Amino acid sequence: MDLLLHLTIVAAIYAIFALSLNLEVGYTGLFNFGHVAFFALGAYTSALLSLGGLSFPLAMSAGIVAAGLGGLIIGIPALKLQGDYFGIATLGFAEIVRMILQNQADWTKGPMGLPGIPRPELFSWQFDTLPAYLALVLGAAAVTFLVIGFLTLSPFGRVLKAIRDDETAAAILGKNPFAYKMKSFVIGSLFAGLAGVLWAHFITFISPGDFTLTETIVVLLIVVLGGKGTLWGPVVGAAVLIFFQESVRLLRLPPEWSGILGPLQQMVFGLLLVILMIFRPEGLIREKGKDTLARD
Amino acid sequence: MDSLPYYLQTIINGILAGCIYALFAMGLTLVYGVLNFVNFAHGELIMWGAYFLLLALAEPFALPLYAAVPVALGMTALLGAAMDFAVFRPLRRANRLTLLIAAIGLSFFLRNAAQLFWGAEVRTYGFEIRPGLRWLGVSLTPQQIAIIVISFLCIVGVYLLFFKSRIGKSMRALADNLDLARISGIHTRKAILSAWIISSLLAGTGGILLALDTNLHPEMGVVNLIKAFAATLIGGVGNIWGALIGGLIIGLAENIAVLFISPGYKDAVAFLIMVLILLSRPFIVAGERTD
Amino acid sequence: MKRSVVFLSVFSLLACLAAAPVMAAENIKIGAAFALSGSIAVYGEGFKKCVDLAVDEINAKGGIKGKKIEIVYEDNKSNPKDCVSAVRKLITVDRVPVIFGPAGSSNFMAAAPVAQESRVVMLSAQGTAEKLTQAGKYIFRIIPSNSKQGQRLAKLAFDQGYRRLPVMYINNDWGLDLKDGFVTSFRKMGGVVTDIIPFDEKKTDYRTELLRAAKGNPQAIVNLTYINEGAVQFKQAYELGIKTQWLCGSAARAPKMVELAGKAAEGVMGTYPSVPQDTKAYQTFKTAYQNKYGNDKIPIFGDYNYDMVYLTARAIEKGGYTAEGIRKALPLVSKGYQGVTGDKTFDRQRGMEKADIGIWIVKGGKIEDYKK
Repeated sequence: MDLLLHLTIVAAIYAIFALSLNLEVGYTGLFNFGHVAFFALGAYTSALLSLGGLSFPLAMSAGIVAAGLGGLIIGIPALKLQGDYFGIATLGFAEIVRMILQNQADWTKGPMGLPGIPRPELFSWQFDTLPAYLALVLGAAAVTFLVIGFLTLSPFGRVLKAIRDDETAAAILGKNPFAYKMKSFVIGSLFAGLAGVLWAHFITFISPGDFTLTETIVVLLIVVLGGKGTLWGPVVGAAVLIFFQESVRLLRLPPEWSGILGPLQQMVFGLLLVILMIFRPEGLIREKGKDTLARD
Repeated sequence: MDSLPYYLQTIINGILAGCIYALFAMGLTLVYGVLNFVNFAHGELIMWGAYFLLLALAEPFALPLYAAVPVALGMTALLGAAMDFAVFRPLRRANRLTLLIAAIGLSFFLRNAAQLFWGAEVRTYGFEIRPGLRWLGVSLTPQQIAIIVISFLCIVGVYLLFFKSRIGKSMRALADNLDLARISGIHTRKAILSAWIISSLLAGTGGILLALDTNLHPEMGVVNLIKAFAATLIGGVGNIWGALIGGLIIGLAENIAVLFISPGYKDAVAFLIMVLILLSRPFIVAGERTD
Repeated sequence: MKRSVVFLSVFSLLACLAAAPVMAAENIKIGAAFALSGSIAVYGEGFKKCVDLAVDEINAKGGIKGKKIEIVYEDNKSNPKDCVSAVRKLITVDRVPVIFGPAGSSNFMAAAPVAQESRVVMLSAQGTAEKLTQAGKYIFRIIPSNSKQGQRLAKLAFDQGYRRLPVMYINNDWGLDLKDGFVTSFRKMGGVVTDIIPFDEKKTDYRTELLRAAKGNPQAIVNLTYINEGAVQFKQAYELGIKTQWLCGSAARAPKMVELAGKAAEGVMGTYPSVPQDTKAYQTFKTAYQNKYGNDKIPIFGDYNYDMVYLTARAIEKGGYTAEGIRKALPLVSKGYQGVTGDKTFDRQRGMEKADIGIWIVKGGKIEDYKK
């Protein structure tokens, strides 16, 4: 059941990715449309360091830190913006990151990508079989879930939600919205980096073309489908979406059809986003205490 | 090509690109002004405008150019109106995030629909290639001259429409205050529809001109959306002349920049400009325009 | 709502399980990860035609020891990530011991570690980047590498009298590799490379790069480009009034490129691993292709793919239908084997020992061999 293991691993990685985005979008109300940039930073940092001979724990930590640093650097100027503008700024930032990855071939091998990324080795355990990697990823996902769960259920999480719902009111009550948004953004970036690291070492090949707007849309879909502002939402969303996406690939269609299948599937994703927003913007798992349709 | 013509050609290319970006920006800023949201699917209107022309020119329709263009533009306007009717109207009162996500989803849908029908390869209208007219060592094809002329005609046309016609007045009223306009009996639906149609026509025209110059590709909408937005920001949201100036600035900036940096970063120039502008305008509050 | 979630997940799970491979029939399955969609589908479709032709011929003569060959095609969507997935799927789901690899050196090299790690043989009939077979001893290449091509191209430029020229190249493993080969050789001969300009694949507008290359009116420009990119570039150069001798590599030598570029491609020259087309073997192949597909325009690298099928079949015959057996048998059966593309002996790096480089030119809308 190699395929089942493969799918579960991918779903778990995306669950981490989605949990991190949900912290920003669902709980704090930050329109982060460039989340894939931090995923990419984690992936590339860890991959390059591993290929350069650094041990996995160090490479992974470096990847996570790089993503977090990226969040810090971008957050400081960008979080002053509101709403749409923040969204577009993050989108622009993600594209700039991708272009740097693509063009600075002397650092990143550009469009040729990094093949042969080594499988992780922790405490002299080689994680090169599928069940082993699954254990690793599930462990990471559990940690992510617990940390983010702890954060969101704590007073910190309540302030985030307050900022999301009415920033001015939160400010009046003495909370510094900028500081909270910053923390949320950086934490989200850290975990996105973690997801990126796990992805790179699983697929063993990454290139700038893996980190485009499409990936942002997929993870956004997972978050809104599962239910933003909830803990289980991203997990459920990741499971549903990944299994759907990959099971379509398994249908034994004649190869000539595959040219149609790809775009068709993406069209369904786009349509799903639109339909969800019109009819059930709160997603599969509804946030507690919210009305059915999120309106101003 | 010796040095002077080289730089001159770069500037000409910049102006050319700038005219097209101005059209994109005008369409985007129109909807932004009237309905107060960034239509993330505007890039796809651009792209589909170009592809509609391809459709009209190909079998089984095989229309001659002068007939195919109005057909293509008409279909683009229809698409724009449909977008509003099916997606944005039901969400008229939804919160900003919902609107944005819906627009992104719509854009994704349209992009892949184009790829489904026409494939991911670069396509071309297949017109005869002709060497450009030479002047001072600079080359300008008749097509490119047409692009500049048509852009200016569109800009003048939009200006006349917006400031000298009744429907333009309604649109401006909506831009100022949607609810007040409703109350004061202005035909909001008609005005909104007009805004979408004009926005789509501008997008479609720009898309066709762009495709005439550089061929078609399903992803051509995305990067041009960002450039359109950057141009909008430079010129000020809702400002028609500003869109023109913004477009020209972006076009020139990106062409001149790649004289010094690697051509692979050409698109990044517009992104960078946009990010820099956003970061230097901290007084943008709560999604409202304060300009 | 929770119920429908559970239902959806279970359904998807069942769909996955249901798709698990049925008990293998008595066919010899060979995997093929080709570009059947996406930007280089034009290559993949051509390969498929020639592979099918070879398979039909072998099966008609009784197959391999009585068993018929069956090719399991996977679409790699013209991008490296899906090449990796396609190869993975062929290995884990279809369990093939040998795979015909994707076009595009970068695409191939992305997937090669996967095949090597799983100890599955993978062959390339068109990847010419030097380091292609570096991933390991299960990776083979049956087309000569770029090293000789770079040298030959430099010699061509020099012989034609060009001493100073710029180099444009497509920013991937193939382009980078060939660029390095050319620049090194050209400089050694005393030539001057005035500018080195990488360009991205799949763009619709190359005027910036073209203008930079054309700066100073060079007599010749080396342009290491692919089919679609080359067509766009030559057309735009034509419109810009750039008059120069274009010198290309093997990847642009395709009827499709000339078709797309029209009169802008006239006079374009380049190098390629040459295959004498007047041999009996090639003519037979050409006739067979014509009979099956109705025209005799052999798609680019199609002839190499054809040879790849035959070589693999012989290796399976000799070494057995296992990866290890095929790996060991390939060098043995290739020694002195004359395919339609010439001598297919493997060298020590599992590439081609013999490499004849020829010169092509576009004349009158057709690709011809250039004779001085």
